[in-house]
Amino acid sequence: MRQAGVYSGILCGKNGPHSLPLSRIKKIMKHSGEDVKMISCEAPLVFSKACELFIEELTMRAYKVTVQGKRRTLQREDIATAISATDVFDFLLEMISASVATTATDDVRAAAKSA
Amino acid sequence: MEPMDIVGKSKEDVSLPKATMFKIIKEMLPPDVRVARDTQDLLVECCVEFINLLSSEANEVCNREDKRTIAPEHVLKALEVLGFGEYIEDVYSAYEQHKLETLDSPKGVRYSGVEMTEEEAAAEQQRMFAEARARMNNGVAPQKEPEPDRGFAVPDRGFAVPDRGFDGVNADHV
Repeated sequence: MRQAGVYSGILCGKNGPHSLPLSRIKKIMKHSGEDVKMISCEAPLVFSKACELFIEELTMRAYKVTVQGKRRTLQREDIATAISATDVFDFLLEMISASVATTATDDVRAAAKSA
Repeated sequence: MEPMDIVGKSKEDVSLPKATMFKIIKEMLPPDVRVARDTQDLLVECCVEFINLLSSEANEVCNREDKRTIAPEHVLKALEVLGFGEYIEDVYSAYEQHKLETLDSPKGVRYSGVEMTEEEAAAEQQRMFAEARARMNNGVAPQKEPEPDRGFAVPDRGFAVPDRGFDGVNADHV
């Protein structure tokens, strides 16, 4: 049983609150750069909610690609397509091009440029 | 081991719990939609990258304001700068609601209904042990040390020390 207060508890899903552990978020924040300042205790809470919104947007965009392909299983390529098609997700391009098949990403980029 | 391997490994360790992430993702999608395992992993990596990006920007915002601690306001500003302005409203209202909820629980209260610090609870426990020992030694109650009047009403928790049947008879006697 996790200790109350450790989790943000902000998102209440259908099956009850599922939320990201604040301690892990804080760790990632400290690892994000060399000169990271002190982090207030409320900052990880805000991060947690922002992450959930981010994941929601990315997942829903990827899901639309899945539906267009008449499939019921979300694949990595669907996420790659969603990232390539969304400007604010440009920071992820480098990461996905390293993990997803390069040809699929290139095809999507070419299609986006010609549009 | 190459130095770069060590750097790479330390970054790998800092990640988000996959089970929690998977539950969050599943709830966003229709029930009959499946998510491939490697797809979940990729989403987790994307989320970690997002935190890295947002952290860096929040750090910059904090620097520009000459502050020493990254506050929620800096994170909200960072969201706007990075193009995630549409998140701000939801994030802010969730943060405000959490503040309201945490205001209800006063600090220092560990046990519901009893306002006692750890030291007072330990002292109370010692007093009860002494009383129990006194009962075992046939009712010779130890002299109570005068407790400083802190104005706290110590509630009677109703601890009943079981009567073990010692009535002065030597236990070794057969």
